[in-house]
Amino acid sequence: MSTPTTVVDHSALKVNQTGIVATVLVAFVGSLAWRPLLVLIPLLAIVLLVGTFVPRLALFKQFYFQVLKPRGIVKPRPVQDRPEPHNFAQGLGGVFLAVASVFLIPVPVIGLALALLVAVLAFVNLAFGYCVGCQIFFQLERRGLLRA
Amino acid sequence: MSAQLWALAAVGLIVLAAASLENLRSRRARRLVAGATAAPAQEPYILYFTGDSCTVCRTHQEPALTRLGDVRIDKIDAVADRALADRFHVYTLPTTVVMASDGRALHVNYGYAPAPKLERQLAEARGSALSAATA
Repeated sequence: MSTPTTVVDHSALKVNQTGIVATVLVAFVGSLAWRPLLVLIPLLAIVLLVGTFVPRLALFKQFYFQVLKPRGIVKPRPVQDRPEPHNFAQGLGGVFLAVASVFLIPVPVIGLALALLVAVLAFVNLAFGYCVGCQIFFQLERRGLLRA
Repeated sequence: MSAQLWALAAVGLIVLAAASLENLRSRRARRLVAGATAAPAQEPYILYFTGDSCTVCRTHQEPALTRLGDVRIDKIDAVADRALADRFHVYTLPTTVVMASDGRALHVNYGYAPAPKLERQLAEARGSALSAATA
């Protein structure tokens, strides 16, 4: 049985991934000089988790839809697709960042490593189109643990 | 060494370990698929495992398959047809299997397979069919 697809604007996904990579990098590199920048990691976790459950509040995607797309800065790329695996991947990133945030103060190495891992996976998706979260979604769906 | 450098080293190790595990997993799956068979056909063909959750299938794999021209492609939903997907150890999407005309699996590609790679594998499949016919 196949789930009907809808049109997903892949430019919005790319802007979202760019936002994740940029935010984590700013927090990671910037915290070498100014530690309070690490607050960007819990903030990013909130942005991703809120955006997963209330897509119209997804900050980076809304930045694309409200600013970048209307001004022609980024061209839309509509693809017949399902939004659920992408939302799942974003939520997973949010959960990892939330766990990273818990570790940032007591064990900064773990917190930073988890946040960096999220940025690496977002970069892999951005650069090569390989979405690890979507593969996990497929495995869970295949085992009947997730339903669209 | 600062926490940032330790974290960088840890992520590097995790990525390396994940890449090695993925490599081992695909080698193991390829070995297991070596004996798998499907229906025979006139010409070599491709089993293309996909699913609704697979974006790379739509954005990369399907255009690559279209570039192959006149080749039979059996598109299979890996979630719906789980038995067939299990027979070919499909653990990632897309997966493409180049089948010989006698129904043997000749090449299995886990993940996106570009058109030139598939063309090479199909040419090999045609060559082996020809040598079997002349032998």
